[in-house]
Amino acid sequence: MRPSMPKPRTRFSSGTLRAATAAALGALVLLGLWALAAQLVDSEIVLPSPLRVARSVRDLFPTSQFLAALQATFLRGLAAFGISMAAGIAVGLACGLSGTFASALAPALTVVRATPVLAVILLALIWFPSGIVPVFAAVLMAFPIVVADVRQGVRTTDPKLLEMARLFRLRKRDRLQNIYAPAVAPHLVSASHSALGLCWKVVVAGEVLSQPARALGTGMNRARIQLETAEVFAWTFAGLLLCTLTDVAFKLCRRRHDGDVQPS
Amino acid sequence: MTYSLREISKAFGGLRVLDRFSLDIPVGKVTVVLGPSGCGKTTLLNLLSGLLPADAGERSGFEGARFSCVFQEPRLIPSLSALRNVELVLRSSLAPEERRERALRLLSAVGLQEARNQKPGQLSGGMRQRVALARAFAYPADLLLLDEPFQSVDLKTRIGLMDAFLELQSEEPRTVVFVTHEVKEALYLGDAVVVLSDKPARILDRMPLTLSREHRKYSSSDLSEMEATLYRLILGEPQAEPNPRG
Repeated sequence: MRPSMPKPRTRFSSGTLRAATAAALGALVLLGLWALAAQLVDSEIVLPSPLRVARSVRDLFPTSQFLAALQATFLRGLAAFGISMAAGIAVGLACGLSGTFASALAPALTVVRATPVLAVILLALIWFPSGIVPVFAAVLMAFPIVVADVRQGVRTTDPKLLEMARLFRLRKRDRLQNIYAPAVAPHLVSASHSALGLCWKVVVAGEVLSQPARALGTGMNRARIQLETAEVFAWTFAGLLLCTLTDVAFKLCRRRHDGDVQPS
Repeated sequence: MTYSLREISKAFGGLRVLDRFSLDIPVGKVTVVLGPSGCGKTTLLNLLSGLLPADAGERSGFEGARFSCVFQEPRLIPSLSALRNVELVLRSSLAPEERRERALRLLSAVGLQEARNQKPGQLSGGMRQRVALARAFAYPADLLLLDEPFQSVDLKTRIGLMDAFLELQSEEPRTVVFVTHEVKEALYLGDAVVVLSDKPARILDRMPLTLSREHRKYSSSDLSEMEATLYRLILGEPQAEPNPRG
């Protein structure tokens, strides 16, 4: 029997192409349904057509007001993500390493997790300037997710390697870097993915309520007050774009990293 | 000088593993602890190293002692090369250049100079265990503990590993406690064999081995009587003839 030749690796497999085609078809169906609904409703204030929204996007996106708002929201999202990750990693590690610390922190984390995001934003409005409110709310929402995932990672660390480290009296730094970090890494990737998506949503929601001078949420709310529904859609589309682009960037980074790390 | 356990007891729940157990470990010698699977040999090693606290009894001579171990499985860090796995345990005791030099010397002593930059996942089971052996000897330990380290490899690899161990031991003699359930391993490696009963473990016999290494090969006929004696002890059969000690 002839040995089978390995198939050359292609950039996109047939499965990926099929999935992309299905997604494109799904998007087209959605657009069609939207256009149909807009025609039936026949009111631009209630439901503008996709074409009307596209025109609004075309008019809005090049304006300096929009670009400044996009930049500010982007920076807020990034700040919220960075703070959530840094604090979440530190606290998650501490929780994973010390059961007592985890128990002491459990009530606070439960309260934060159970509090509705709107309640957090309303309280933050009382405590902080408008520009800080969205960041604070997003951090408070994303932080417990990171803590839980990092803690889980620490708890799944190979106990046999830890026993070896104890016997050979490895330094704490070496244990963290070589034993805990590889165990936490996959959990951290999933935590950062969830935190990133959540940060955009909460930041924009916070902006709608806190109304900072430059923000996607502020533009969205202003358009709503002026009954410019197509513009509300356009601002929403910008938020969606921000979320999708960072998600794609994240996935590309992950794929590159996974490609670099050969299974051992 | 000896390391001693005196009247040590250890139980897990209601299961008594060691009950008033005493053992002397002479310095610079290989003491083999031979016993059936599950008799408490690993518990004994954990008690020696202090990884497990004893319920009762006394450990003497261990104050400030450092331990290294070759475990049943290699326990190497998957993300580090063989060389860096060995270097890692030297970080708190040696400067970087000395660390590198010592790690390289020990890796070549176990025949892994060429594979020094490979990660554990790229090495065979036998090679991984050689790295673990090099790491254990590299670490400046007072006591070297071996917990059935050659069980998961084939016979040829096992003999190769045991020869590597003996070579390292002749270069840098250590106080070794080696636990195994393999009679041939015990006879091949030990300076003395301590035979344990089933749980709760007690010492059935302590047999010094003075036969030269050349006469202890797996194929040697000189060992057959001692081997038979050990098997009888383990199986609880009456001794057929006097113990051929010494």
